[in-house]
Formats: sequence, structure tokens, C-alpha cells
Amino acid sequence: VSRDLSRRAALALPVGVILARPASAAAQASDVDQLERLLALEQRLQSLYETALARDAVEPGLGETLLAHEREHIRGLEMALRARGRRSPRATVPPPQVGTAFASRPAFARFAIDVETETVGAYQEALTTLRNTRLLLPLGSIMASGAQHVVALRQAAGDELLAPG
Amino acid sequence: MLGSLAAFEHAAAVAWGAIAERLRGEARGYARVIQAREERHAERISALIRDLGGEPPRGRPPEEYAQGFPLMRDEDEALRFAADLEEQLVRAHLDALQTLPQEEQRRAVSEIAAEEAEDLAVVYAVSGEPAAQHPFVTGTL
Repeated sequence: VSRDLSRRAALALPVGVILARPASAAAQASDVDQLERLLALEQRLQSLYETALARDAVEPGLGETLLAHEREHIRGLEMALRARGRRSPRATVPPPQVGTAFASRPAFARFAIDVETETVGAYQEALTTLRNTRLLLPLGSIMASGAQHVVALRQAAGDELLAPG
Repeated sequence: MLGSLAAFEHAAAVAWGAIAERLRGEARGYARVIQAREERHAERISALIRDLGGEPPRGRPPEEYAQGFPLMRDEDEALRFAADLEEQLVRAHLDALQTLPQEEQRRAVSEIAAEEAEDLAVVYAVSGEPAAQHPFVTGTL
């Protein structure tokens, strides 16, 4: 473990390029289903943060950051789907539930923690079963981003940053 | 690959012990929690190796690892080392996914990668930086 491996060297990979590489024909059907499911979950998060920002249910700086991340995740997933023959991804997103989730900033943060946690779990499921191993690194890097969103939201909620082990 | 990950987690657990010594208050508390997580990761990966009939690497004495750690004269230096360490851990686990054929192996390593990403976010947060900084968390080695 060396400090010479600097944080400044920690650069994002060209994730969109990697995601866009087509898989073998045999692997595409199942992997496409998984990508569509992940896209739907990311679209749900995007809609969630848009609504929270509009309702002042999230601190603007945090909300804009998380929303920007979700848009990048969606862009990558849509590229991956288009590269696999899905010209118009089928995934659709239901409107966010209106109610207590947006009643206050802490309430929204806790609601968003649940949605982000569910999404991280979906990525973990996909990483376990995807046939195209080229997708694992870029999808894993999105999963890692989602895990960090959970920490940011715990901080916003005033909770412990790490859940009890 | 699993052996390398187990060895890395052993080193990381010791590193977090050293980092904790340089931190105070809440940051030190998180460092101790993360140290325990790294120990659990090492054990979980070691179990996967045993399932394959292999012998996982054992942890070495802390003083052997310490020779490879950077100088940590204050909290800022300790947190910089912690961020470097966690970035490398995230990347190592994501890289390993591509080499693992069994679902159980991939599940374990992806779950550990998510926890490492959380740990990195905690380091950012206690450093006064945004916890979630990038849409794609892929540090490079």
C-alpha cells in the first residue's frame, strides 16, 4: 500500500465507451433485461431528485450533485442499450410518490436512502449474473457511486455515516 | 485474484489501525469501524478461497505492513492516506469481478466493493469534502 498511488491519479474510466461495446449475441438477451431494469431504477432516482429539488426537500448543492450523477448513469446505460440494439429503451419511470417523503429534508433523505439502497442491491444482483464481463467494471463503478450517495444522504439526514455492521 | 484481495484486506485493516491513531473524535470512531469492516472482508474472501480448496494468505505482523505506509504526521496526512487506500480497494475489487467465474464469488466481491465505496465517502465527509463526488467511482492503480 503506497501513497505514491496518488488520489490525483484516480481518474474515471471512459465508462460510456466501455458500456457501449456490444456483447456476443448469446449473452445479449439476459444482459439487456438487466440493463433495462437498472435504467428504470436510475430514472426513478432522477425523478426523485428533480422532485425533491423542486419542493426544496433536499439541500440544493447535494440535490444537484446527486441528480447530475443519476443523469450520467442513465446516459451510460442508454448507450449500453443502444449498442445492443435497443434504439428506444423500454424502461419507464413512475412518478415519485407524493406525501411524507418530501415533507422535510431529513424525511426525504431517509426515503432516498431506501431507494438508493434498493438500486445498489439491483446492481449487485446484476454484477453477480451478467454474462458480458465487459459490463462489470463500468456497472460496478456506478454501483460504487450509489453506495456513496447513501453515505451523503445519511449525512444529510443527520444519521451515522455507516450503518451498524 | 482472491488471494491478492485477501492479502490487500489484511494490509488495509492494519493500515486503518495506523490511520485511527492519527485521528481524533468522530473520525477516529469511523476509522475503527472501517478497520473492523476490513477484517471482516479479509475473512469473507478467505472463506471463498477455502471453499475452492485453497489456503488463504495470513495476515502479517503489523510492523511489517507499517514499513510500507506513508508518513502520517497529522490528521490531514492520515486522511489523504485513507482516501488513497480506499480508492485502491474499490478499484481492486471492481477489477477482480471480471476474473471471478462463480456467482457467489462475484456477489461477495461486489458487496465488499460497495462497502469500500462507502468507506471512501466517509473519508471524504470527515475531511470536509462532499461524500459523493463522482458519478463513476473507479480509482486507478
